Amino acid sequence: MIQPPRWAEAVLRVLMTPEDAETISGDLIEQYRDSVFPSKGRLRADLWFIGQVLGFAWRETWGWVLLFSALGVGRDALDWFMPPTDFLIRSAVTTYSAISLFVLCGMFAAYRTRSLRASVATGLVVSLFAAPITLGGILLMLAIWHDPQTMSAIAHSGGLHEVFSLPIFMGIPAIILALVGGLFGKAAASIFS
Amino acid sequence: MADVLGAFEQAVLLAIVRLRDEAYGRAVLKEVQTRLEREVAAGAVHATLARLEQKNLIASRLGPGTTIRNGRARRFYRLQPSGVRALNDSRAAVDTLWHGLKWPLKGHV
Repeated sequence: MIQPPRWAEAVLRVLMTPEDAETISGDLIEQYRDSVFPSKGRLRADLWFIGQVLGFAWRETWGWVLLFSALGVGRDALDWFMPPTDFLIRSAVTTYSAISLFVLCGMFAAYRTRSLRASVATGLVVSLFAAPITLGGILLMLAIWHDPQTMSAIAHSGGLHEVFSLPIFMGIPAIILALVGGLFGKAAASIFS
Repeated sequence: MADVLGAFEQAVLLAIVRLRDEAYGRAVLKEVQTRLEREVAAGAVHATLARLEQKNLIASRLGPGTTIRNGRARRFYRLQPSGVRALNDSRAAVDTLWHGLKWPLKGHV
């Protein structure tokens, strides 16, 4: 029998509670085999399945994604338009805020699903969804404000290289921090549930 | 008056009414798509089902899977009395809004 992409199904299952993973993945597989594959063919059916999984992943993580994106864009906006005199304090505030967000999202994911794999997956998914949103926000700001004064402020805060590379390289730290949060979340779930 | 239901919530609840004992996730999605005559994301239906269950308008139970879904369990839904009330109230609210008007509206009224 035809199978949807296994990795996509694994992502779906790992983000859900065990009960939802069972029933929701079953519903999607049934729809994939019953109506999507016969009418659209293999490639488009696989793309449909991946799209559905991304939709579920977005619904599970959008709050964290928007918070993290806002933090990234806000950090750059602060550096560009109100350059701090002491970058050490600004850096500490934004770094610890980002750490807290990933730890918290990993914690809630593990508390909800009782699975450390869920916290790892949530951290990765949040960083992957947040990267294009953050980059889009930064590009928009850059398209509107690129006068010499702003460009000088950008250069003093680490330069465009840092601005564009930071959101992309958050994946690994996000996984580690979400895993740390997941340990707390799983412990909390076993104590309070 | 019970909770005011959105149009999509009504579509999902009415699908459960129509499907009776066969109201599980995939069947509800299919019924909603047929009635609304458009593609609907599975995630949208599942999120709505979860929300309606949280509001105690529907209840669910797990049932056996089938071969086509790799034996994965199905979650069957049924309306709670509060769900029936909410649907009746929503219909009554629409009827009240339309009272005295001839449907379909034609041109400028």
